[in-house]
Amino acid sequence: MPVKAHIHATHRRFTNGQEVIEVEGHTVGECLNHLIRQFPEMEKAIFAKKDKLHNIVEIYLNHASAYPNELLKPVKDGDEIHLVIMLAGG
Amino acid sequence: MLTPDEWERYDRQVMIEEIGQEGQERLKRSRVAIAGAGGLGSPVSLYLAAAGIGMIRLIDHDRVSLSNLNRQVLHWEEDIGKKKVDSAGTKLKNFNRAVEIESIDENITETNVSRLVGGCDVIVDAMDNLPARYILNRSAIKKKIPFFHGAVNGFEGRAMTILPGKTACLRCMHQGLAPEQKFPVIGVTPAVIGSIQATEVIKYLTGAGNLLINRLLLYDGLNATFREFTVNRNPDCDHCGDPLTPSLSQPSP
Repeated sequence: MPVKAHIHATHRRFTNGQEVIEVEGHTVGECLNHLIRQFPEMEKAIFAKKDKLHNIVEIYLNHASAYPNELLKPVKDGDEIHLVIMLAGG
Repeated sequence: MLTPDEWERYDRQVMIEEIGQEGQERLKRSRVAIAGAGGLGSPVSLYLAAAGIGMIRLIDHDRVSLSNLNRQVLHWEEDIGKKKVDSAGTKLKNFNRAVEIESIDENITETNVSRLVGGCDVIVDAMDNLPARYILNRSAIKKKIPFFHGAVNGFEGRAMTILPGKTACLRCMHQGLAPEQKFPVIGVTPAVIGSIQATEVIKYLTGAGNLLINRLLLYDGLNATFREFTVNRNPDCDHCGDPLTPSLSQPSP
């Protein structure tokens, strides 16, 4: 059973409108790389540079914050990754 | 002690088992700092004044502009150009004259934050930028004052309650800064999130219910859904981590 990556609404224009993408990998980082191989435009949306997420991108693994060192967190089949955009307005 | 007027005014909420007379008296004795008198600060302060909080300290250094009025419902057309703390303070005073209102027309900085929130039982995050939130977060932890986070963008919002030394703080979740820019928002979003923050404050002060601690609540207005994520304390957190605990990110000697 692959890992499910839940895409934030603002990023779905890069995934043909899809909200949930099946990805593979042993870590969050590997899963995100697999996501990018499927949808290359996601790279600029989530990464500031190689192996460095944009500050406003938050990763939740199985409904828990993966911060810090998000990309190194191990994942297994059936896990769920949520990509969320940090909010700062008030 | 509640006055006869207060018994009548707060009758419907004193009827709530989790509040009762004791809870109402606690609300009356409470002092709340609300950082920001804008989109979030409007519903937070309005509902806390409605609930009978004893003292509300409004902190904001901005003036009312026309573009505020789609969401900052305590400010009206006649207030354009006025200081937000004066505009909001006047409405709140007219709404509930028993509530003491302190208006502080200052920006929140590392230098003044301790004075601005000093003597308050809780701090509400109704800010519109991350740097000020981090300053408040650190000060709340240092002074051991519960901190009620809220933020919005567009139709989305989030809220979390922070009990210093006990639960995850803002910096346990992220430490980077977002680019400061004009953010899109529809007024109903801060209305929802501000109401949740005010609910959390009332629950904390009265001891009612279960707080949003170690839980980040996300609101998606477009899909009319709420989602919840767990946020655990980060032992390496630069605000609330234990300085005596060796950093997990540092190799052992």
